[in-house]
Amino acid sequence: MTAAGPVALDVRGLSKHFGGVRAVDDCSFIAPKGKVTGLIGPNGAGKSTAIDLISGFKLPDAGSVVFEGKALQGLSPHRISRLGLIRTFQTPREWRELTVLENVVLARWDESRETFWRGVLGLRQAGREATLSELSEARGILQEFGLIALRNERAGNLSGGQKRLVEFARIRMAKPQLVILDEPMGGVNPVLGERMALAIEGFITAGTSVIVVEHNLPFIERVTDHVVVMSQGSVIANGPFESLRSNQAVVDAYLGEMPTYEQPGA
Amino acid sequence: MTQYLVSVLTEGAIFGIMALGLNVIWGWSGDFDLAYYGYVALGAYMTLVLTIGRQPPPVQYILGLELPYPVAVLLAVASAMALALVIGLIALRHLRGIYFSIVTLGAVYVLYAMAGQFVPLFNGYQGLSGLINPMADALGIDFNSYQYFFLGLAIAVFLLVYFFMSRVSSSRFGLALRSLREDERAAAAFGRDIYRLKLKAYVLGAGLGGLGGALFAAYLSAFNTSAWAPLETVVLYAAILVGGRGNIRGVVLGVLIVYVLIEESTRFLPEIPGHPGIVLALRPIVIGAALVLFLRFRPQGLLPERHYVDRVQPAAAEANAP
Repeated sequence: MTAAGPVALDVRGLSKHFGGVRAVDDCSFIAPKGKVTGLIGPNGAGKSTAIDLISGFKLPDAGSVVFEGKALQGLSPHRISRLGLIRTFQTPREWRELTVLENVVLARWDESRETFWRGVLGLRQAGREATLSELSEARGILQEFGLIALRNERAGNLSGGQKRLVEFARIRMAKPQLVILDEPMGGVNPVLGERMALAIEGFITAGTSVIVVEHNLPFIERVTDHVVVMSQGSVIANGPFESLRSNQAVVDAYLGEMPTYEQPGA
Repeated sequence: MTQYLVSVLTEGAIFGIMALGLNVIWGWSGDFDLAYYGYVALGAYMTLVLTIGRQPPPVQYILGLELPYPVAVLLAVASAMALALVIGLIALRHLRGIYFSIVTLGAVYVLYAMAGQFVPLFNGYQGLSGLINPMADALGIDFNSYQYFFLGLAIAVFLLVYFFMSRVSSSRFGLALRSLREDERAAAAFGRDIYRLKLKAYVLGAGLGGLGGALFAAYLSAFNTSAWAPLETVVLYAAILVGGRGNIRGVVLGVLIVYVLIEESTRFLPEIPGHPGIVLALRPIVIGAALVLFLRFRPQGLLPERHYVDRVQPAAAEANAP
């Protein structure tokens, strides 16, 4: 594939094996800037491992990852995050004992304000102003996601769907250049699914490119501009969703799994 | 009675400092550190070897510098922090949960064995003594009023530590530490350098442990291996758990309850004839029972951790609820 336009993420020859299992095997794809890229494939295709390798949570055996012109391989997760690539996890990872508002505010990393000495001796006035603007920004985001009434609630008390929304609100607060969403629809009802589809459009408007890993194919069809299909660790096809229906390799890879998807609104 | 109250309050202030330090490591950063009493002990030993002079054999120990007490306290705190840095660099790299606890427990027993058996270090099991009423001469305080002076000093240091911890608690640094306790993978995904943050918390907490130890040494005027067992840490954990993990007011309340109420109240129980020492043996049982009951029925403690409560009412907030 040749990318028509700027590239957010360029993955080349990424490989990782665990013992004798080639979880990710010479995986290459491009995520265009300002677009939603879907990453699909049957269970065990290596999608989650690929995300771990890209975001620094696992070290690849081979291959390169270039994000906004910077090589990422070998960098630790927090460094990659600070460069503007943030990923989510298959299960929501909220900070349970913190409130919803604290979860959202803390999503933005700001080293200068987070040092120990600033905490103990910091100038109160400057700190207060930064905090106030940050709080009102976080309130606005929570308003948008319909979570404002829950802002003082302990995040661990929320329902599974609400936790997914908090995750999305955190991404909005962090404003990364690229977000990788790992199965955001897991355990989410179709109505909330539409809200998430709109949120993904909101990310694009806010200047955040998106990669979304998902088993829910109607959702993928609804939100993505372009889809990458993985099977047995490698990319077997890519292109717009419609073009994949007629792709024999994709149909073969999904054989036996296709009919199990729930259709929202069906 | 006054004398008794003075000693209880002095001890309370000292244990309060130690508990506030452990709260940074466990209450906020979330690491169940079993080496903590080692930092208290190192602070106490270092204060002694830095303030007392050389003594004739067979007593032997390092340094013996006769430094002024305040200088010795600072150096004792620094050495506790240095040891915590070394242990933390190793134990916090990849280990979490029970594995971290096991490594820190191993580390503190190495320290305990060295303090007891390697005589040239801190005079072995005999330990160190001779730090009698530090600063009394320099400040012209007579023997009888010294205990009040020292009580004031302990409380002043405690209040200073409390003030700093209250600022840390409400700072972004404090919030970031709590995010590590709650979910460190998410913290890393949002840009936090887990290892560095945890290490900072560990060294900070150990420094307060060393400070508590430095005051403890002056209070006891002596220190040896029978004055500390590594598992004294568990009593500090009980105090934090009863009072409220992560809440510094709760931690102070827990110290009052566990140390002052339980430890001290058993002192007034009548001895049972024919069973000497049974009352003393009751203390750990009462503390252990309190620990179990709180873990079962009120794990957040008497004063749960406080979080920022946003009272600004955005327009149509309620209408938009999901």
